[in-house]
Amino acid sequence: MSPIVSAEGLVKQFRRPKKGPGLAGAVRHLLRPRHETVTAVEGVDLSIDEGESVAYVGPNGAGKSTTIKLLTGILVPSAGRVQVCGVRPHVDRQANARNISVVFGQRTQLWWDIPVLESFRLLGDIYSVPDAAYRRTMDELVDVLDLGPLLGVPARQLSLGQRMRCDLGAALVHSPRVLFLDEPTIGLDVAVKARLREFVGSMRAQRGLTVLLTSHDLGDIEELCPRMIMIDKGHIVYDGAFAEVTRRFGWEQKVVVTLADGATDAAARAGAALARVQPVIDETATGLVVTFDSRSISSGEVIKELAVALPVVDLALEETSAESIVRRLYEGNLTFHPADQEITR
Amino acid sequence: MTAIGSNTPAWRGRTTPGSKYLSLARTTLQQAIAYRITTFFNVGLTFIWVIILYYLWRAAYSGRASIAGLSWDQMRTYVVIAYGINALVGWRTGTAMMAAIRTGDVVFEMVRPLNYCTTQLARALGFTVVEGGISMIFTLVIGLVFLHIQAPATVASALLFVLALIIGFLTKVLVVFLVSLLTFWTLNGMGLMWSQQAIMQILSGTIVPLALMPGWLQFIAKVLPLRGIVSTPLEFYLGKSGGWDAVGLIGLQAIWLVALWIVANLAWKRAFRVVEIQGG
Repeated sequence: MSPIVSAEGLVKQFRRPKKGPGLAGAVRHLLRPRHETVTAVEGVDLSIDEGESVAYVGPNGAGKSTTIKLLTGILVPSAGRVQVCGVRPHVDRQANARNISVVFGQRTQLWWDIPVLESFRLLGDIYSVPDAAYRRTMDELVDVLDLGPLLGVPARQLSLGQRMRCDLGAALVHSPRVLFLDEPTIGLDVAVKARLREFVGSMRAQRGLTVLLTSHDLGDIEELCPRMIMIDKGHIVYDGAFAEVTRRFGWEQKVVVTLADGATDAAARAGAALARVQPVIDETATGLVVTFDSRSISSGEVIKELAVALPVVDLALEETSAESIVRRLYEGNLTFHPADQEITR
Repeated sequence: MTAIGSNTPAWRGRTTPGSKYLSLARTTLQQAIAYRITTFFNVGLTFIWVIILYYLWRAAYSGRASIAGLSWDQMRTYVVIAYGINALVGWRTGTAMMAAIRTGDVVFEMVRPLNYCTTQLARALGFTVVEGGISMIFTLVIGLVFLHIQAPATVASALLFVLALIIGFLTKVLVVFLVSLLTFWTLNGMGLMWSQQAIMQILSGTIVPLALMPGWLQFIAKVLPLRGIVSTPLEFYLGKSGGWDAVGLIGLQAIWLVALWIVANLAWKRAFRVVEIQGG
């Protein structure tokens, strides 16, 4: 089976005006405009099979939204190939539009001042959904998303959670094959989040919907997406199972040490004891946090050395979770070495 | 309308998918109705100009039977109807197009199977039913009750007037659309809208009939498509143009309309390539 979404060497560059500060800068720009080229996406390869659910994550500005826009046909790639359901989105935008749907957590596609049902009906007309299919889909959506009480309300009067439910429903009126969710749970409370996740999961199971989700909420990813693709500075740095992240990048471990009162020079002594593996040592109010590379020394050995060198009251080994790895990547504290990147898919 | 409390849910009432552009026009109409009060005042305010121009012209006509071939009766009629037509495609049509680009909501129009230019025409049509309807009320009330405007010269001129009005409407929407596309580059539209409005009012003949303009300006105005929006329909209304003359004027309007349609579609494609959607 050929992948439903594929990209090869996808590149998107923007030309941005380069303006100096203040009025002088603005005037100078007017007389002699200068531009700089910003590369938002740099050689991205993607291959997603029908029915898959994939999380696409990365820090702000990493190129997530740009990728989504390239896949939906909103942007034209600067280089590379992209194909969704056998259609090149920017070449045949309208054909692509029939196969896909996009939900943006921060925008609504509902018409603001008119009852929600009117938006649904208009969408049904825009996509020329046949009557029987329209009824079937609406029955299902109203039932699963509990839209009944909301259909008569203008979109502007909906709460964020209600609006999101309607927006998800609106995205599915034409039964798309691929659903792009761009930070769909942003700003939602826990209960609404859980409900939306459940809904997307069931749509995927029942309809074989392919889902590509960008989110900063790891809960979304953990529950919805067995597979995670991570992008940073325009490059894909990880593509594999979410659970695999820990195994592959979890080599950094931490020992939290609580010291007895009056321990002097603790950091220096710990550093001396573990000098051969060059740990990172941070002092805290009650003791130390020792971070080390578990590939060069076992945690048992670290604990043994510390217990000998220092008046230790308590020791705790901190397991590295996928969450902390993703968080450190976002903070720029974790760099991926080419050696770590053997993508096994 | 709503599903609440009824036995058959409302979405079951749909029988067949409607034409997508008509459906868009209808939805825009519903949206415009939500702003009818604002629209009423927006249109009403433009008619202040009608009053001002009326008094100016009345002074100019004292002791004179005609100016540039127009009698006082005809000039009065011209002023009122010109503003009535001008209000057909109102402020909201342009600002809505610009707002979509500026806020980035244009993405939704890009991920739907729609021709963007036709979408804009459909939406303008929806707005115009409300804006044009209100404009018509003002034109009739002020024109018939206070300023005693004339009826169309003949039945033929009335028909020509309507035909020219429709082509003029489409022309104006496309021009406004082309101006709004500049927002893709400038990302701020208010200045554009103001200058567009001013230039259009002069060159379409809304403020003064083209015949009164200095030679060079008259030449520019007669060649450009903007005259087709106000001046051409009014020439027919007042019976100033008929026979081959009329064929020529309608032909010019039609040629410009086709040209603008092609340019608008090309410009959209071009804008589409440089697009940077606001807000991530």
